[in-house]
Amino acid sequence: MNPWKLKESLLLLPALLLLCAFFLVPNLDVVRSSVFDPDFTTRNLERVLTAPVYFRVFLNTIQISLVVALLGAVIGYPVAYFINAQPRHIQFRLLLLVLIPLWMSILIRSYSWMMLLGRDGVVNALLIQLSVIESPLRLLYTSGAVYVAMLQILLPVQIIASYSAMTEIDMDLIRAARIAGARPSEALRRVFLPLSMDGTITGVVIVFMLSMGFFITPALIGGRRNLMLGNLVMQHVQQLNWGLAAAIAVFMLAATLAVVILIKWLGRGLTRLMV
Amino acid sequence: MAGVLAVLAVAASMQVLASDKVLNVVWSGGTAGEAERKVFVPEFEKKTGAKVEMKASELALLAQLESMVKVGDTHWDVAELAGGKLEIAAEKGLLEPLDYSLIDPENKLPDMARSKYGVVWGTYSTVLVQNTSKNPKGAVMKSWKDFWNVKAFPGPRSLRAWPQENLEYALLADDVPKADIYKVLATKEGVERALKKLGELKPYIPVWWENGAQSVQLLADGEVFYSTTFNGRVSKLVSDGIPAQIVWNGGALHLAYMGIPKGSKNVALAHEYIKLRVMRPDLGRDYLKYMPYPSFAPGLLDGLPKETIDSLPASPENSELQFVSNTQFWKDNIDRIQERWNEWMLE
Repeated sequence: MNPWKLKESLLLLPALLLLCAFFLVPNLDVVRSSVFDPDFTTRNLERVLTAPVYFRVFLNTIQISLVVALLGAVIGYPVAYFINAQPRHIQFRLLLLVLIPLWMSILIRSYSWMMLLGRDGVVNALLIQLSVIESPLRLLYTSGAVYVAMLQILLPVQIIASYSAMTEIDMDLIRAARIAGARPSEALRRVFLPLSMDGTITGVVIVFMLSMGFFITPALIGGRRNLMLGNLVMQHVQQLNWGLAAAIAVFMLAATLAVVILIKWLGRGLTRLMV
Repeated sequence: MAGVLAVLAVAASMQVLASDKVLNVVWSGGTAGEAERKVFVPEFEKKTGAKVEMKASELALLAQLESMVKVGDTHWDVAELAGGKLEIAAEKGLLEPLDYSLIDPENKLPDMARSKYGVVWGTYSTVLVQNTSKNPKGAVMKSWKDFWNVKAFPGPRSLRAWPQENLEYALLADDVPKADIYKVLATKEGVERALKKLGELKPYIPVWWENGAQSVQLLADGEVFYSTTFNGRVSKLVSDGIPAQIVWNGGALHLAYMGIPKGSKNVALAHEYIKLRVMRPDLGRDYLKYMPYPSFAPGLLDGLPKETIDSLPASPENSELQFVSNTQFWKDNIDRIQERWNEWMLE
C-alpha cells in the first residue's frame, strides 16, 4: 500500500477505537448474555422462539416501525423539497423550525400528545366546539395515537436526511434534462428524484431503526395492544432477567438488520425503475 | 505565599472531610421524596453533621444497582426497595445485611417489619379510587364486585399495566376468599380464572396505567372514572378539587422496605439514617402530614386524631379490609405469569 494511504487510514483509528469500545464490545456482551446465563444455555433463545407472545410483539414492532418509516418518507420528502427550493437564508430558518422539536425530550413530546388527544384534550374540545362531534372521540390510547406521535417525533430525522441529499444535487443536471426535451415533471421524476433517493432511503433506515427501539411513547399513549419489543426488554430488565432481555435484543438486532438490508435493496430497485 | 498555601491545604482537607460524610440516598421521586427531604433529612444532617444527597429512583433501579455492585463501585448508601424489589435484590446478593443491634437495639419493631436485608419504612396500599361525582345518584362503590359491575357503575376504568394485584382483585371479585388468593394463583387454572374475570372488564378499560402519577392524572383529566392507585396519591387529587374516594375493601397492602446497597462506603452512617427513619415516632408523625405511609416506629399512632388514623393503610380497621400483597409469590412466579399476561393483553 502507498505509505500516504496508510497514514491517511490511521486517521480513522480514533473513531474505530471509539466504536469498538462503546458499540462493538457492549453489543457482543449482549449477545454473550443471551447464551451464557451464567453457563452456556439456549434456554433464553428457545423461550423467545417458542412462547407465541414474543412473535406477536415482534410483528407488531416491525409493522409499526415500517409504517412510521414509510409515512415519514412520504411526508418528509415534500417538506425537504420545499425547503431546498427556498433562498438560502430562508432555508436556514425553516431548518431551524424542523430541528427545534428534535431537541425536545421524547417524554415531553409524548406528554404533549396526551394533552392534545385526551378525552378532554384540545382536539376533542375543538371538535365539540365546532359541533363536528357530540361526545369526545377516543383518540388517545389507540394505535393511531402511537403512529401520529412516533411520526411527529421522528419526522425531523427524515426531513434532514432528504434535505441534505437534495443540497448535493447539481441543478445543472435538471437544466440539462430540460434542454434535452424533458418536461419539468419528467426532469423531476427521472433526474431529481433518483439523485435524492439515496439520502431519503438512508432517512427511512434511520427512522426505522429508531422506531424499533421505542418503548416510552407506546407505553404512554398506546392501547394495551401496542406492546413493542422495547417494552418487553424493559419488563425483563426490571426483574434483573438479563438473559431473556438479551435474547429478545439479539432477535431484535437480527430482524432490524434484515429489514434494513431489505429497505436498501428495494430502494435501489426503485431508483433504477425511475430512471 | 505560604499563608495562601496553608489556607488552600486546610480548605482541601475540609473538602475531604465533608465529602467523607455524604450519605447517598435513593428514594422515590414526587411527593414521597419531597416529604422525606422535609422531615428526615434535616434532622439527620443536624444530628450527624453529614450531608444527605437524595436521588430519585428510576424504573431500572435494580439494574443500576446490579451494575454498580458488579463493577465494585457502589455509590449509593441507602435505597428504597418497595414493590417486590427487596426480594430480587436480596436474592441477587446486592444488599448488605442489616445490623439490628444498631437499628433497633431494644427489639421494639414487630417481626413483620424486620428482615435480614431490609427493614420496613412504611406501609402503603394499592386501592380502588372512585370519582364520586361520576357515580350514579346515591351509589357508592364498596368492593371489587362494584368495580366489575358496569351496569350499576358505567364509565371508563383503569388498572395498572401489569399482573400484580390485578389478578388478586379479579379473584376477589370472583368470590375467592382473601386467604386463598395466592393458593389459587399458584396454579395455572387459577391464573386463567383471574384473567377470564379481568376479561369481562377489558372493553371498559381504555388505558392501563404505567406509573402512579399517570393513574391520578387519568382521574383528574376525566379520562377514567374509576382506577386503582397508591393511597398516598389520593389526597393530592382531593386537594385539586376531584371528589375522589378510596375503597379500602379488597385493597392490596404493601410493606415498603429500605436497605443498604452492597459495597456502600458508609454502612455505619447508613444504619444511623435507617434508625432515624424507622424508629422515631415524632418524625414519623410529622411525615404523615405529607404522606399517609406509616412506619412501624413504636408509639407512632399515639395521640393521633382518629381521622388521621382512618386515612392510613395499616390502621386496624383498614388493614382488616385488605389483603397483604405477597411479594415473595410474585418474585417466584412473575416470569410465568408476565408472559401469559402480555399474551392476554394482546388478545
